[in-house]
Amino acid sequence: MNRMAAVPTLQERVTLPLLPLGVGLLGAAILAGLLLGPARIGADGLLAVLAHWLGAPLPPEHARDAAVIGVIRAPRVLLAALVGAGLGAAGATMQGLFRNPLADPALIGVSSGAALAAVAAIVLAGPAFGASAGLFGLWLLPIAAFIGGLGATLVMARLGRVGGAAPVATLLLAGVAVNALAGAITGLLIFMADDRQVRDITFWTLGSLAGARWQHLPVILLLVGLPSLLLCALARPLNALLLGESEAYHLGVSVEALKRSAILLAAISVAAGVAFTGLIGFVGLVVPHVVRLVFGTDHRIVLPGAALLGAALLVLADLAARSLASPAELPVGVITALIGAPFFLWLLRQSGSGNGA
Amino acid sequence: MIRRRMLTASLMGLTVQSERARAAAGRLVTIGGAVTETVFALGQGDRIIAVDSTSRFPTKVSALAQVGYLRALAPEGLMGLAPDLMLVSEEAGPPQVLSVLRAAGAPVAMVPDEAGIEAVSRKIRAVAQALNLEGAAVADAVTADWRRLDAPIASLQPVSAVFILSVARGAPLVAGRDTHADAMLLAAGARNTVRSFAGYRPLSAELAAALAPEAIVMMDHALAEAGGAAAVLSIPSLAVTPAARARRVIGLDGAYMLGFGPRAAHARRDLARLLHPNAVLPGLPSRGWT
Amino acid sequence: MIAARALTMRCGGRRLLDEVSLELQPGEVVAIIGPNGAGKSTLLRAMSGELRSEIGVVTLEGRPLAAWHPVDLARRRAVVSQNVALAFPITGRDVVGLGRLPWHATPQAARDVHAVEAALETVGATGIAAQRYATLSGGERQRIQIARALAQLDGAAHPAALLLDEPTASLDISHVGVILRLIRRLALQGAAVMVVLHDLNEVSFAADRVMVMAEGRCVAAGPPAAILRPRLLEAVYGIPFQRRGDALLPEFTTD
Repeated sequence: MNRMAAVPTLQERVTLPLLPLGVGLLGAAILAGLLLGPARIGADGLLAVLAHWLGAPLPPEHARDAAVIGVIRAPRVLLAALVGAGLGAAGATMQGLFRNPLADPALIGVSSGAALAAVAAIVLAGPAFGASAGLFGLWLLPIAAFIGGLGATLVMARLGRVGGAAPVATLLLAGVAVNALAGAITGLLIFMADDRQVRDITFWTLGSLAGARWQHLPVILLLVGLPSLLLCALARPLNALLLGESEAYHLGVSVEALKRSAILLAAISVAAGVAFTGLIGFVGLVVPHVVRLVFGTDHRIVLPGAALLGAALLVLADLAARSLASPAELPVGVITALIGAPFFLWLLRQSGSGNGA
Repeated sequence: MIRRRMLTASLMGLTVQSERARAAAGRLVTIGGAVTETVFALGQGDRIIAVDSTSRFPTKVSALAQVGYLRALAPEGLMGLAPDLMLVSEEAGPPQVLSVLRAAGAPVAMVPDEAGIEAVSRKIRAVAQALNLEGAAVADAVTADWRRLDAPIASLQPVSAVFILSVARGAPLVAGRDTHADAMLLAAGARNTVRSFAGYRPLSAELAAALAPEAIVMMDHALAEAGGAAAVLSIPSLAVTPAARARRVIGLDGAYMLGFGPRAAHARRDLARLLHPNAVLPGLPSRGWT
Repeated sequence: MIAARALTMRCGGRRLLDEVSLELQPGEVVAIIGPNGAGKSTLLRAMSGELRSEIGVVTLEGRPLAAWHPVDLARRRAVVSQNVALAFPITGRDVVGLGRLPWHATPQAARDVHAVEAALETVGATGIAAQRYATLSGGERQRIQIARALAQLDGAAHPAALLLDEPTASLDISHVGVILRLIRRLALQGAAVMVVLHDLNEVSFAADRVMVMAEGRCVAAGPPAAILRPRLLEAVYGIPFQRRGDALLPEFTTD
């Protein structure tokens, strides 16, 4: 069969049921994330916990099951889903905006800025508050990382402006410069760090969802969920950008406004996610490609698709992270790459030449 | 609504935590080498079902379940072990995970982790109290052993020394002020030459030469990883020191030397003997935990 | 309808445009000719609103382009640029479909499918529409881009403007005829067309007016019969021209 004809087109979106498929996949992943894990919970325990949520008294022998599902797993699975969705949507947006399949959220400085601020919090504020810091200590790192990530992106966007416009190439170079500078300062801070702090930094850069709490979720919903939804609304202008910046303008797209909102929304959603989980690579880069290879290039599909798939992937990766080395835990960033990279390569070979535009 | 139910579940967990009687009979997870050693010293080692990666003594703990590095704990992995009590060094983390564990009603008892004989005593008493045991006997025995060394070591001429954590990252990573290594060097009749900074930092070549330590102290596994004494002394920043000329590189088990657990007094004596080979130091009684 | 008055643009000390004025009228095809680097494409991009000049102003229906929202602009004028490359693989039909973007969420959106198919039919690209854009030849891409511009103007309530930058550059002779006839027909239907061309015979066939540019300036403007004269062209291009029958041809000499 002619491979040309096998390329899904913008019009074919109706025939490929992305939404039910993606929602089903995410639902299954969330269910698995709630039901499975190193703390074995039998069917009776699960039923008791569910009955308890619906109002029945909790048998004391299932108190631990209720705590594992309600206090540990549920916020963790929801955090994974939201952060994964944010990374997927932000990655798809960056690739569309920079018209480059290798683009990912790191390009706009958000990851390196968040890392710089997180490392600063670990190295400089750690000694000031001690290992068992109180409420402020628990929120210090996320707040610092969020401000650092967003700040680095704003600096990059400012540096990337020439006159009133911000040409994509200039933005990319500004991103490279911001990343290099943030990396250098991070290196300086790591030099100042003691051995234990260096280990804390290493684990932070590999990502973990182990610190998830219910009280994080309203913040995550607002700063990751909402921007991801808003990014999906940029699908049409991003489609126009497929043709190039000039053509997008000719088609009625306010290109500079599009760039500003896309970069700002992606930066907010990634910075807020990274703030609670540390750096999680791979999702933002490869998930949009997987969606594109299966469903085609239309951003009306790619954006929500990358959000749904990113969410499902991170939930499953976290399930693997807490199960595989039980009772210890692997860094989730390691898992996302270990699951994702081979799958991506397989998909790439299945679909032939892949991305040649 | 559901959230409130979850909160009651965690509150029920908290009542479990306060049931000391159950804890006294139950299964333990110990996190931190000194914490694990202390539980064994108190005769409760058989109750431990899992330890962290810094717990390496006594050697039979290697057969237990491993919860990983103590700064990267896994909340669900720990809950899944269903321990009746987790004895956790204050070194452990990340703090977010400890807060998750507390929210889930996990029975967690924190154990202080500091250097010095008073800290050893506090540590032993804290573990004993969490286990509803009397810890004074062990704490007093360790303190008595430690004190027997005070006068003989005080009479020695201090050896200037530097403690090297690792040489793997280029410049040697050395112990400054406010480290367990600094405290142990001082206790064993040495003078830590690196006091211009706190914590473990890379040492510049010029500073190493200027400090002129007479002895280099390392953890034995770090010494082995570095390729032995000859390899360490061939590092340019160390080759010019008096320690290199005298070929004095001392290796000692890390958890033993720096743990400040129940073996602290014996570790002090052993390190002092290595630093002062010609000195006469009193022998210490063999204890059940050494 | 689109009028440029005394446009001047500089870039790094070089004058790209030097006090160029041009007005496009509904129902009229204006061809821009001139040697490479004369400023033809720059003028076209300024007339489209993509480039803003420091001196001089471009107006649409009397209002400066800067005062128009890009969407309103896109419902009144379409642009066919040279060498459009895609970021990710989509089909020719998808490219044409993107032309319907300005009409999203308007009653005209109901015409989307019809507009796309009609535009493909008009440029004779229905048969290649299902292929990936990247696999098409230069001429096929050019036709797809023209179809995209047609789809964009389908449903415009006002007289529309179509700006084309060398639309015939990579077409074979049969498709050149299709495109030039299409341009004429659009003008007959009331559109204002601005087209950058190189082939002088195409100019004389398609254009109502010709503007000759050199070094950023308008050298001459008027009906093709008045402009396409050997002496004027020799002055602009610096090579001899001669008339053969109806055609005006450059005289390529061998050394």
